[in-house]
Amino acid sequence: MQGKCGLFFTTYAKESQVFHTGFQKTSVALFFLILLVVPFFLNSYQVSLLNLINIAVIGAVSLNLLTGSCGQISLGHGAFIGVGAYATGVCTLNGWPFLPALLFGGSVTALVGMIFGIPSLRLKGIYLAIATLAAQLILVYIFLHWSSVTGGAIGMGLDSPVIFGFSFDTDLKMFYLTLFFAVLAVLMVKNILRTKSGRAFVAIRDFHLSAESVGINLFRYKLQAFGVSSFLAGIAGGLWAHYTMYITPEQFEIGLSIHYLAMIIIGGLGSVLGSVFGAVFLTLLPEGLGIVADHLSGFFPNISTYFLAMRDGIFGLILVLFLIFEPDGLARRWQLAKSYFKLHPFAH
Amino acid sequence: MKRILQVTLLTLVTLFLVSTAQAQIRIGLISDLSGATSDVGRPYAEGVKDCVKYINDQGGVNGQKIELLQVDYAYNVQQALAAYNRFKSQGIVALQGWGTADTEALVRQVARDRIPTFSASYSAHLTDPNIAPYNFFIAADYSTQFRAALSYLYNSWEKDRAPRLGLVYPNVPYGLAPVPAGREYARELGFEIVGEENVGLGDMDSTSQLIRLNRQQPDFVWVGGTISSTAVILKDAQRLNMGATFITNIWGSDEQLLSLAGSAVNGHLGLQSAVVYGEDVPGMEVIRDLTGGRHQMTHYIRGFASMYVMAEAIRIASEKGELNGPGIRDAARTLRDFDPMGLTPPISFFPDDHRPNMSVNIYRLSQDGMEFLATETLERRMDWLGK
Repeated sequence: MQGKCGLFFTTYAKESQVFHTGFQKTSVALFFLILLVVPFFLNSYQVSLLNLINIAVIGAVSLNLLTGSCGQISLGHGAFIGVGAYATGVCTLNGWPFLPALLFGGSVTALVGMIFGIPSLRLKGIYLAIATLAAQLILVYIFLHWSSVTGGAIGMGLDSPVIFGFSFDTDLKMFYLTLFFAVLAVLMVKNILRTKSGRAFVAIRDFHLSAESVGINLFRYKLQAFGVSSFLAGIAGGLWAHYTMYITPEQFEIGLSIHYLAMIIIGGLGSVLGSVFGAVFLTLLPEGLGIVADHLSGFFPNISTYFLAMRDGIFGLILVLFLIFEPDGLARRWQLAKSYFKLHPFAH
Repeated sequence: MKRILQVTLLTLVTLFLVSTAQAQIRIGLISDLSGATSDVGRPYAEGVKDCVKYINDQGGVNGQKIELLQVDYAYNVQQALAAYNRFKSQGIVALQGWGTADTEALVRQVARDRIPTFSASYSAHLTDPNIAPYNFFIAADYSTQFRAALSYLYNSWEKDRAPRLGLVYPNVPYGLAPVPAGREYARELGFEIVGEENVGLGDMDSTSQLIRLNRQQPDFVWVGGTISSTAVILKDAQRLNMGATFITNIWGSDEQLLSLAGSAVNGHLGLQSAVVYGEDVPGMEVIRDLTGGRHQMTHYIRGFASMYVMAEAIRIASEKGELNGPGIRDAARTLRDFDPMGLTPPISFFPDDHRPNMSVNIYRLSQDGMEFLATETLERRMDWLGK
């Protein structure tokens, strides 16, 4: 049979496949194979960065579903991650096995997220942002003052995750656990976006009145977006809590929410792949700047002091440059790069 | 022949590098040079670094030089975690940490990896070896400081009625940490607590809180914030003509406060756990030499002392032939009234009690400087451990 040129879909099912070509499937399989093997050749610092990336991917992909795909701005995502961390932590401290505790943590966060999502029917844009900011402040206040459960200012010490008697007590072991949940989260969100709910989310984001006029129940789908997104945030929080093994309210302040917003903006709003890019980029950025500062200090002993002081400024500058020159984020750049190689040497 | 020469040379160079690498004692330093607490983080880190320089200039610890690996974590827990893992892979034997959030996020990890950590977060629960077996610091914990301040105030109280106490603190973990302990001890001593108010660390005004508090006419007001909020509170108190004497905790009074608050600091009190620059103690000569006589903030002196005490623990561990995490931890626990050249009150650690001492220096603040009043020392009560 003659090979075809380009992609031809004869059914909608084929069009909505996650991977369209054999090349894509092979590339992804190869990527995962490398990802599974590579930690054996890295030191614990590099593996710990991979762990941070995996947890950030879950958080970013969940926020991107809510903000990027459904258009519901949230400034409370850091606190939702905190709810998951505390809920999972309280369960494991009370003798629950890790996996049920993690799922329970996710569920509690989903519930909390949905409660704070209720105003989203009436509020949009900046108003909703302020409502979720209130969620952020209220939740951190609860972490700090509900001392009998959260440990208050002192915080809460936890152990490494144990699943069926196997303890994930090193960075390497933790990597496979966090990777598993990161892959699951990415697949979950990718698949949600292919369902009726996902299309409803996008319709609501694009214009809520049109969405309502074609029969989409705004309240139900907005709450659903808050619920699913918060569930995944809770999972990220539970993993973070048991990875760091000590949680305090300071870890889930407004800064974390902004950090996650920056991730999805830099990665690409509404794009699952963009969430991954954003998480990788923002987790590695401070490390990269630190390494540059280290190298510079070899030549100019005092430059690292000034360079480090400029780090927040550099972070802000990168964010602004992305907003100006690539508002669609790294995911769009990736698309352009792929198109370039596909079309070269022709322009179209 | 040429090839053999090359290989020999290369082997010799490698051996030399390996041997010098082994002769170094690697210590990690997590500093905030660019984040929210960098105004005090920078001088503290300078103090740690200068102490390493001093020790190395003296020939190191039992002939081994200390190599300090520094990372600026910008007061971000995630970056502190990454920095710690980087240090771990570089083979550190001990860690100099910094703030509350990062020290607490690392408590379990340093215990698991058995890396002794000296930090500048003085939360009381870090002194309980059951919770934080590898954490140390060289200042009395926040709760002990608060209690010592109350003890000093109560002992110098001359009127024949109970002194009235007001509390002003930010609603954050650092501000809240010593409040229950202080409240309890104030009642135990016989203070009347007349009011509590929250002033945030970034607040630019505290008038409404102080007006409310002033209605209760407190004799003393405990301030549990940091420099900028303390300056705001003292200025507002001066504007409102409050008659109370304010007493600030350790991160609430330093040389910056004197210039920020101006005449509003006059007559108020500040707590310190180390001497301030210029005092007549043996260590001051060393610091003067190291810094060319430039005035250093009190945080610098605490950083210096923290590293000096850690170096002493390393020295003892090294003499016992146990230059590793558990060895240094055990060595630190053998310190009894160790004097870091007079820079802090004497330091002792015990296997079941990591409180360095029960002493706090109390200073009278004025625009011209800080005047040493007294060192208040409490009894080492076991029911206070970790609380």
